[in-house]
Amino acid sequence: MSHSRREFIKRTAAISAASYIGMNLPLGKMGVVEAADADSWHRGTCRLCGVGCRLELGVKNGNPVALRGVAESRTNFGYVCMKGMKFWKFMQHKDRLTMPLYRARKTDKFQEISWDKALDIAADKFSESVLKHGNDSVGYYGSGQSLTEETYLFQKVFRGGLQTNNVEGNPRLCMASAVGGYLTSFGADEPIGGYSDIEQCHCFFIIGSNMAEAHPVVFRRVMRRKLDNPNIKIINVDPRISQTSRIADLHIQFNPGTDLSLLNAMAHVIIEEKLYDEDFIKNYTTFRKGDKVQVDFEEYRKFVADYTPEKAARTMGGKTTADDIRKTARWFATSKGTMSMWTMGINQRKQGVWANNLIHNLHILTGQLLKPGADSLSLTGQPNACGGVREGGGLCHILPGHRLVVKEKLRNQVEEAWGIPKGRIPPKPGYHTMAMFTAINEGKLKALWVNCTSPVQSLPNCNLYNKGMAREDVFIVCTDIFPTLTTEIANLVLPTAFHFEKTGVYGCTERRSQLTVKAVEAPGQAKPEVWIIREWAMKLAEKLNDPVIAKCVEPFMGKEEDYELPKAIWDEYTQKLTKGRDNDLRGATYEVLEEMADGVQWPAPTESFAKTGGSVKKFVKGIDPMATSESQNDLPYQFYGPAHPDRTLWIWLRPQADPEEIPDAEYPFYLSTGRIIDHWHTMSMTGRVPELMRANPYAFVEVNPGDARKLGIKPGDMVEVKSRRGVNILPAKVYEGPIEGMVFVYWHDQHPDRMINKVTKDAYDPGSKEPEFKICACRIKRLSGPKPLRPFLV
Amino acid sequence: MKRKIILSILLTASVALAGCVAQQNASSSAGDIGQQSGIHPELTEQEQYIACSDCHKTVTPEIYEEWYQSGHGIGMVKCYQCHGTYEDLQVVPESSNCAVCHSGEFHRSPAGSQCWTCHPAHTFVMHK
Repeated sequence: MSHSRREFIKRTAAISAASYIGMNLPLGKMGVVEAADADSWHRGTCRLCGVGCRLELGVKNGNPVALRGVAESRTNFGYVCMKGMKFWKFMQHKDRLTMPLYRARKTDKFQEISWDKALDIAADKFSESVLKHGNDSVGYYGSGQSLTEETYLFQKVFRGGLQTNNVEGNPRLCMASAVGGYLTSFGADEPIGGYSDIEQCHCFFIIGSNMAEAHPVVFRRVMRRKLDNPNIKIINVDPRISQTSRIADLHIQFNPGTDLSLLNAMAHVIIEEKLYDEDFIKNYTTFRKGDKVQVDFEEYRKFVADYTPEKAARTMGGKTTADDIRKTARWFATSKGTMSMWTMGINQRKQGVWANNLIHNLHILTGQLLKPGADSLSLTGQPNACGGVREGGGLCHILPGHRLVVKEKLRNQVEEAWGIPKGRIPPKPGYHTMAMFTAINEGKLKALWVNCTSPVQSLPNCNLYNKGMAREDVFIVCTDIFPTLTTEIANLVLPTAFHFEKTGVYGCTERRSQLTVKAVEAPGQAKPEVWIIREWAMKLAEKLNDPVIAKCVEPFMGKEEDYELPKAIWDEYTQKLTKGRDNDLRGATYEVLEEMADGVQWPAPTESFAKTGGSVKKFVKGIDPMATSESQNDLPYQFYGPAHPDRTLWIWLRPQADPEEIPDAEYPFYLSTGRIIDHWHTMSMTGRVPELMRANPYAFVEVNPGDARKLGIKPGDMVEVKSRRGVNILPAKVYEGPIEGMVFVYWHDQHPDRMINKVTKDAYDPGSKEPEFKICACRIKRLSGPKPLRPFLV
Repeated sequence: MKRKIILSILLTASVALAGCVAQQNASSSAGDIGQQSGIHPELTEQEQYIACSDCHKTVTPEIYEEWYQSGHGIGMVKCYQCHGTYEDLQVVPESSNCAVCHSGEFHRSPAGSQCWTCHPAHTFVMHK
């Protein structure tokens, strides 16, 4: 039966999809045979995902011809995934944006214009909005894929120049809950340890992460650790059995949103069986509930006493037993080193910060922290969400160097460093992402600069917000390398240089900053963002007659844009704004980063220390120089993070709480979404590499075989996935992946029928403001048998 | 079943042909071989949107299973990463392809030897 169905798909006359989407790559460019023929190899990092793989780009006659790993790399040991192997192929794709494009109305056709005219228009529109509607009527929406220098300069011009904290970016959609978790549990953002713990770890607790597909090269390190040491334990905690589950000793499956019960039940077992680390708790730990109210161990014990494994197993839906929960807790607590790893399954939740706290709780309780092989490691989604956005001041409530906007003293430090008047940076945080796009819907935000991201596709419940972005009274500038669904609703599209076509720093998951230097020319008139911002700011200063705006870019005037300009920006940021902060990067100068092929892990206050590679673990005397310089006692660990003045780690009392929307009679299924290995985010880049596109040309809906049987759905059938917000029509993959009662859809597809963020929900965590992409209610229905589908790219 | 047989025959013939072509043109570019020269059964554009492993699970089940159980299979290193896609298909990849991820081993290997002389293709156990 399945053969005849496949045969049907295969034999159905189809429009030539490749020509439809404009694929026209040269033959014979597999990228590996030619590798040996490259004239030169250029060191840098991968452009995709947050792992931070070190790569080399092969260049021949000025053109990119291959990518390869570097065996001695500390992050990837020379391995690359298919995206890292192939991204050179789209660098010279014919669809690259090469000229500024403008249209006055969003229904008009774009016209090519000069850079001078383009920047003039951008300056006119932003000035006009500020003068007519106030400073908070303009905003910046950036990306965890922008270089640190770019995010830093954009936010400087917006905050110091345009006097608005409306500075946001897509990391709000992926990492904000991890930030909230680290700050509230450890007092400081970003992980304590890093990848080097993997080879010393004895128990991996992988929760809410299909790292085999989303972080394939880190997954490879975990896989190799397991294959070489079969006795180490791997626990995979996910409502969906995924590729990651293949290496697991134990898979904990549960109804979406019930994992807070699991984490509290594990703490219950650890306390009941006295598996906690009494000395660690005595020396380094306090307990908190509600709004930072301090409680004691006894109150915490009573709190988790209610989460018996039996009760938790029932809450979780009955697929996992109480014994499995006990086993998980014992493995976690008693191994010689336990690492937790998680991503969006934990962060993209209404209880995202709480879920992060509950993972950290287990590490603090058992002392599975700060020692080799032990860490509570949030895997970052994007290559520079940590370095550029979390550290560089790319969210509405934070300034560079992990400073909070609301703290006057910290604002003044930034103003002083920039040489602008005190009080210039507004005290009120700007719109967070969902508030920003709500403000657009309401006509409050009139001019938006979208850089290197596509919110039309990536926002949850996107139908709602796309109406606002389509308004004619909202002026939208997009800086990007390819057309996206967001450039389709923009007024002004500015072509930018891509990775290896410009110079700058990426900071990956493990506090590691790595430099990529320009190796090839950008096509056409594409320019580096740092040049675009500088030139735009000068025009803004003139139009608003405001010398302070000019002051923001004054240190960078006259610098050539390919190296000197980003270097000057990096120098200002690191030397003036990370000094004495927990992400002290003063030692990581461009000179040092050029010398250190694997970059530097902060804190790295001096060049001599940075040349050792930096701090492998934070807070540990003898490893982290700030743990010594900030030491207040004889203990080996010093928690000097800015958010915990008491310098302790906090264990939080956080109860099980439901997602915003749970299935009911009308919408009886959970819907969750995620990534697939062959594609990156909205597919504007990877969709233009034939191998990657062919490997996964469309999104599909994964349906549990039990549910499929009940609903008469067979593999390849077209299925409607509908929520209270929107609808998709997708081919079905019947697969023992999602737990019964749940469906799963990949979110990369741009086709209007298969863009799953039309269906997802825009509820968000009240602390981190990160949306709950991972859980909403939907209903599904078989519409027809299989139909031939076309891949789709704008 | 009939389809299986036809595909198996085609594939066997293509592998044999590819072996000859690969040997004769060891130094030629990857673009010389591929679908155009009959290495792979002809597919429509639509058919090319079916993952390699979907068909090869059926037509070359032993190879599929070896790959699936290997480090490459668990780590999701897919067919096209070593063999290319239809325009640049290599039934027997160049050893230098391996160097994208295994550059250290590649440069340490005895001159003139192929990687799979010691590391059997698709299982990739450490040594034969």
